[in-house]
Amino acid sequence: MNVFPRWMNALRVLAGASVLAAGVYVVALFAYGGSPKTINAGFSPEQPVPFSHALHAGELGLDCRYCHTTVEIAARAAIPPTETCMNCHLRIRTQSELLKPVFDSWASGEPVHWKRVHDLPDYVYFDHSAHVTRGVGCVTCHGRIDTMERVRQEQPLSMGWCLDCHRNPAPNLRPPEFATAMDWQPERPAAEVGAEIMQQRHLKPSTDCSTCHR
Amino acid sequence: MSSLIREPSDVSRRRFLQVMGASMALASASGCHWETEEILPFQRRPEGRVPGTTRRFATSIECSGVAASLLVTSYDGRPIKIEGNPLHPLDRGAASARSQAAILDLYDPDHSRGLVQAFEGASYPRSWKEFDPWFAGHMAQVRARKGAGLRILSEPSSSLALASLRTRLAELHPQARWVEWEPCARTNEIAGSKLAFGRALRVQPRIEQVNTLVCLDADLFGLHPAALANARAFAARRRPEEAQPLRLWVVESSLSLTGAAADQRLALRDEQILPFLLALEARLAGGKAADGLFLESLADELLAQRGAALIAVGPRQPAAVHALAHRINANLGNTGKTLLYSEESDPAGVMELGELAREMEAGAVETLVVLGGNPVYDAPCELEFRRALRHVPLALHLSHYRDETSRACTWHLPRAHALESWGDCASWDGTRCLQQPLIDPIFPRRTPLELLGAICEAKLGAPELVRACVAPGASDEQWKKILHDGFVEGSAARPVEAALASFSVPAPAPRALAKELRNGELELVFAPDRNLYDGRSANNSWLQETPDAITKMTWGNAAIFAAETAAALGVEDSTLVKLKLGTRELEVAATVLPGQAPGSITLHLGHGRSAAGLVGGLEQENIETVGFDAYRLRSSDALDRALSLEVMPTGKSRQLARTTDPAVTDSIGRKQMEGLVEELARVRTLADFRKEPGSERESEHESLWNKPVAEGVRWGMAIDLNSCIGCNACALACQAENNVPVVGREQVIRGREMSWIRIDRYFTGPERSPRVRFQPLTCQHCESAPCEEVCPVAATMHSAEGLNDMVYNRCIGTRYCANNCPFKVRRFNYFNYHKAIEAEGAEVQRMLYNPEVTIRHRGVMEKCTFCVQRIQAAKIHAKNEGRAPADGEIVTACQQTCPTQAIVFGDLADPKSRVARLHAESRGYAMLAELNIGPRTTYLEKLVNPHPALEEHDG
Amino acid sequence: MTASATTKVRLDEPYHRPLLIEGAEDLASVTNRVCGVVERPKPPRAWYIAITISGSMTLMLGAMVVYLISTGVGVWGNNAPAFWGWDIVNFVFWVGIAHAGTLISAILFLLRQKWRTSINRAAEAMTLFAVCCAGMYPAVHVGRIWVAYWLFPVPNQMQMWPNFRSPLLWDVFAVSTYATVSALFWFMGLVPDLATLRDRATTKLKRVLYGFFALGWRGSARHWQRFERAYLLLAALATPLVLSVHSVVSFDFAVSQVSGWHTTIFPPYFVAGAIFSGFAMVVTVMVPARELFGLKELVTLRHLENMNKVILATGSMVGLAYATEFFIAWYGGNPYERFTFVNRAFGPYAWAYWIMIFCNVVVPQFFWSKRIRTNLWLMVVVAILVNVGMWFERFVIIVTSLARTYLPSSWGYFKPTWVDVCTFAGTIGLFFTLFLLFCRFLPMVAIAEVKTVLPAAHAHKENGHE
Repeated sequence: MNVFPRWMNALRVLAGASVLAAGVYVVALFAYGGSPKTINAGFSPEQPVPFSHALHAGELGLDCRYCHTTVEIAARAAIPPTETCMNCHLRIRTQSELLKPVFDSWASGEPVHWKRVHDLPDYVYFDHSAHVTRGVGCVTCHGRIDTMERVRQEQPLSMGWCLDCHRNPAPNLRPPEFATAMDWQPERPAAEVGAEIMQQRHLKPSTDCSTCHR
Repeated sequence: MSSLIREPSDVSRRRFLQVMGASMALASASGCHWETEEILPFQRRPEGRVPGTTRRFATSIECSGVAASLLVTSYDGRPIKIEGNPLHPLDRGAASARSQAAILDLYDPDHSRGLVQAFEGASYPRSWKEFDPWFAGHMAQVRARKGAGLRILSEPSSSLALASLRTRLAELHPQARWVEWEPCARTNEIAGSKLAFGRALRVQPRIEQVNTLVCLDADLFGLHPAALANARAFAARRRPEEAQPLRLWVVESSLSLTGAAADQRLALRDEQILPFLLALEARLAGGKAADGLFLESLADELLAQRGAALIAVGPRQPAAVHALAHRINANLGNTGKTLLYSEESDPAGVMELGELAREMEAGAVETLVVLGGNPVYDAPCELEFRRALRHVPLALHLSHYRDETSRACTWHLPRAHALESWGDCASWDGTRCLQQPLIDPIFPRRTPLELLGAICEAKLGAPELVRACVAPGASDEQWKKILHDGFVEGSAARPVEAALASFSVPAPAPRALAKELRNGELELVFAPDRNLYDGRSANNSWLQETPDAITKMTWGNAAIFAAETAAALGVEDSTLVKLKLGTRELEVAATVLPGQAPGSITLHLGHGRSAAGLVGGLEQENIETVGFDAYRLRSSDALDRALSLEVMPTGKSRQLARTTDPAVTDSIGRKQMEGLVEELARVRTLADFRKEPGSERESEHESLWNKPVAEGVRWGMAIDLNSCIGCNACALACQAENNVPVVGREQVIRGREMSWIRIDRYFTGPERSPRVRFQPLTCQHCESAPCEEVCPVAATMHSAEGLNDMVYNRCIGTRYCANNCPFKVRRFNYFNYHKAIEAEGAEVQRMLYNPEVTIRHRGVMEKCTFCVQRIQAAKIHAKNEGRAPADGEIVTACQQTCPTQAIVFGDLADPKSRVARLHAESRGYAMLAELNIGPRTTYLEKLVNPHPALEEHDG
Repeated sequence: MTASATTKVRLDEPYHRPLLIEGAEDLASVTNRVCGVVERPKPPRAWYIAITISGSMTLMLGAMVVYLISTGVGVWGNNAPAFWGWDIVNFVFWVGIAHAGTLISAILFLLRQKWRTSINRAAEAMTLFAVCCAGMYPAVHVGRIWVAYWLFPVPNQMQMWPNFRSPLLWDVFAVSTYATVSALFWFMGLVPDLATLRDRATTKLKRVLYGFFALGWRGSARHWQRFERAYLLLAALATPLVLSVHSVVSFDFAVSQVSGWHTTIFPPYFVAGAIFSGFAMVVTVMVPARELFGLKELVTLRHLENMNKVILATGSMVGLAYATEFFIAWYGGNPYERFTFVNRAFGPYAWAYWIMIFCNVVVPQFFWSKRIRTNLWLMVVVAILVNVGMWFERFVIIVTSLARTYLPSSWGYFKPTWVDVCTFAGTIGLFFTLFLLFCRFLPMVAIAEVKTVLPAAHAHKENGHE
């Protein structure tokens, strides 16, 4: 006495198909849901001070290096000390509520607690100077900061993403003097320009493990 | 101050979380962004400070009244590494293992953080706020009594600032007395020079001038205050291209680093050294042929090498031996050529510790200020210093740790670490070194200068006082230079003429060899520990776990027996024995070591601390003491050696935590070992080398894997076994640079120590006079590395520049690589060895870590990386300037600190680089090259220079 | 005459080969007998006692694994230089055990060895359970099990792939393939018997459960015809695996350059050893099982004897392998390898080595005597000793080779911890728990297959099969 009634024979194909579909669905789910593009890109935490890069870097046209002074000489593009803000804000918007944390810091000597937006895993050793001085523009990794009211992570910053560029840097290279230019556009195809720069400066980015992991 | 802790601790938190990043990746798979980090910028960034970069400052540390000049690396305002000061004439960039380990004390949670007052058996935490006014009041009364009953007990110090305060104290408190105590002092040396010259003189060896160096129990390369300079000069005179290479003769009771480097070594009971020297002098004076081929040949050579020989005597030897050596050196015309004399501070007028103890017992001492030191632990046992302290109504102890003495005093005052202090001290050659703080005291601690300043109401603060004493009337420019250099240029002591007085030394009654081994006729020698010294470093886990250069023992000491002594007394290695001196007894572990003089038993001081801390032992909190306290047997009349020792085996066994297990007792193992050592750590006599310079090399074989294409940079290393003296400096440098964890005694016994560079030590030849071979072993970065082939997840890969990269965050811990590594240089994190810093409130400990190196979490493999972080830093720096790093610009941590420059790192592709030239040298050979793995490290054969007449003596 | 008597007579006349199935068994009685085991309301008390013991050991295993993963591999005795210890020893030990099953079902099937029919089901089951125990070790012995999935070539944002040069990776594939195929093979064989159980089922639950797994088997000619073909194909597929799995396992060692591991004869040597230990385990388990569940007539002395013969043969092969290793070590003249082997036999681990030699080389030789290899007690003793010996073989190969490699400075000695011991005991518990459950709820003997070797199946021939 079979426990499967005869009509079930019709379902066999359906069953097979649905198992297959389920497999595809799960894979797709993880591939998309697990990818840094989904998880990390777009991260944009609330900051203690609603500092607008769109205003400072965009409208006012401050150069990145006015605040991030160490970007060309050190691994970190240091977050500016309160002092830097105060250079202007001793005179401008001195009563603004929004700037209170800055004024407090200036008064107390305690640091402002900024939230880290672009956060690589701690076993990754990224060096800003090594990239900026070779002609990798800020835009390449950080996007159009000069249009952001609140800084947002544009790129996945995943290992694969880094490797893509390390393996084929040409499209992302520009004359170093334009590194901080947000709106720089090559007049010739980027790959060509990049190739030339690689030529002149003998750039051959390494893909060795110890380049980033120590 | 707050920012001093906060900012870096934020950074180090990032670092210790690192390897957990893999699990973060998992977390992110579940769709959440990992914990957001905060960035805390300065309110006002200090001048010239670039966040995330290092700066270096010159300072110095004083030990036993002699300075070590240092260059300290500071990351975001926290000192993270100590190196030698490259500008200093003596140290020249090298730093001893112990100086380098000092950085760990700075962040040690046990390093005292506050005042403690003992009152009626209980102890109460106090603050300087409470202390200062009360103490000022008290001192006013003392002053009113012209300092009667005030005693200051201090360690000997070369500080001018301290001296100036001392004189002021004398004016202010005429009745006060100054006492000095140091368990391993140079009293004998000074007495010796007084006997010979009628004044206190210091010997300045000029080893670069020496052809025949005779060390009588003198550890010139190990414990000597100028060991770094001596070793460097020695190594220079050992190069095969030297026309007249130095020959080293050593006569000592127990193997020292110097003895290990000797060409001719005689193991002699400590007390036999005086008769030996007398016999030698008689022979040199044309006396009849003395006993022994050794002495014969030595005498001949000394006569042949008049003016180019040096007889050095160790601090343990009695004054007579020193005086004799002075006389012989003078008569041979060595004085002024191979050694110079400089003024030695004469401790005349300083009160003896014994005298003080008696006063205390008599209740004549009302106020005792103890500046550093730890007399309760290390004072001669018959003084019963602890008991004596009970009779002192007010005893203050200024010390780094709340140690035995602190707990016996009425007040413990926290003492600032050298890196937190202003001060000054002089190195062995008299060069005036500056001590400047790299960081504000992390906790309210004070320096002896500050405390003494308070006592004698000094007008100047410590910094001003130091400047006034070190560089009186120096312009700001000159002062800046001194601050930069860390010492006063050209301030070395002038050599002085020493006129020999006439004196005679009675020869002691000769002792029959047969009696030597008889119980009750044995001699017990007290030697400072090579790592812990007199015990002050007992709470330093780095030094505790650094294997002793000779015994390879970690975490503890043991009485060292010669094989025949042990046999005669029925003592076995790794057992407990009872040592009996008169009425005093001590149970200690025993170990058997080649090269030990028969009848002489050596016991290292500095172990068995009962109140060192969580590492070194703390009875109050039931933390087991480490090792055995030799001071319990050490009395004033026998500070250096005690005769009439009795040894009684107890039958109990005691496991010793040795990194190289000598228990290769089975004949097969021993045979194999002896066979292999000749191959692995090669040694030849200079004569052989001159006959036939080439050392045999393995030719290239076919390989299954295609070897990496040899284009561009090829990093490599060369290690000169001829220079290595096994001093462990490299091991400590590596530990600090690469965040190498400490695993503890139990784990070492299980064979799980983590050191990235280990110094293999082999004995060959006869038991009495063994040939000691040291071989520093790091990852060899093989061309076709066995580890790389077997890792299933590609966590260890070859870089284009030939580095064997180890990627912690990729490693899943199958441990296959370590099995396949023929050098066994890979280390596995069997547990989370960094648990301590993950705990809440461990911010201070975290400050120690080097943020440029990932901290390895449980379950991953790690190993030497050739200091890849230094390579990358140098490369990026150079490329930013649009050039390639120059040869010698990249220096690995071990290479940087090596006093004898035995280690050289560089680019093999550049034929002009130092390393390439060394690889090409005829002495060069690669270890296990026959495995066709192509190690990137080349070893250079050790060349020994035995006396022809005695050659058959060594194996 | 009684079964035992028949056996006696028959065995005494070698030219007259005994029946595969004894007693007056017919098609129906076989079914009844096998199904009876499953259908009886209560299993014998011995079963309860056994499962209590093995069950609690299994729980202990769970505890050990939790402790291990939460604390670190350090809770085991592994150290430097012996970075592998009991973890890999036990892994290889269990993989070895796992060999008998598929060998009996696949190879003997292809070789038309009809006597396999009564034991293949149990043997295959054993295989699976042994693989479970084996598979656990490589998983939990890694330092960071939470990223162990990197062993599989899964596309990822790191653009990292496993290192296909590593034998460890080959291992992952070899073992998982083997596990899959053996499972399939076993389950397929089960289908007709499950159908039988379904049809005899008394309760609804049993009927539905057995029925579900019987996949609607109706025993039609078409079913049988396809079943036979599929079975043949699977057998053909499984056969090379029997050889490949342990060859690949042996590569873990042979491909490395640790002297004592780096040996070309490892693959055949390991396979022989595996079969050796596998059969020993089958004997160890089947003898009590057939007593317990009254299957003496189905699993006869002759089956056991045949297996003992295999043990004797493979045991001798293993002995030969040991000899060869030593010869090559001497003949090859590599000082390191020579030392490794001298050290094995006379060094600090000599005791382990000589236990191995005694159990694996000396003991099986007793099977030359028919009296011993047909005596239930003696054969169990021998089989157990062989299992012990084979465990020590792996211990000797792995630990003694690692403890003393190239540099004398890094020589050491491996000591297991209590966690090592409990974990191993735990896997034994797991193995028997699974086996006992199998005995209770599934047909221990392939009913359908046994029927094909009954006299009744060949009515036209007088007791003539084979």
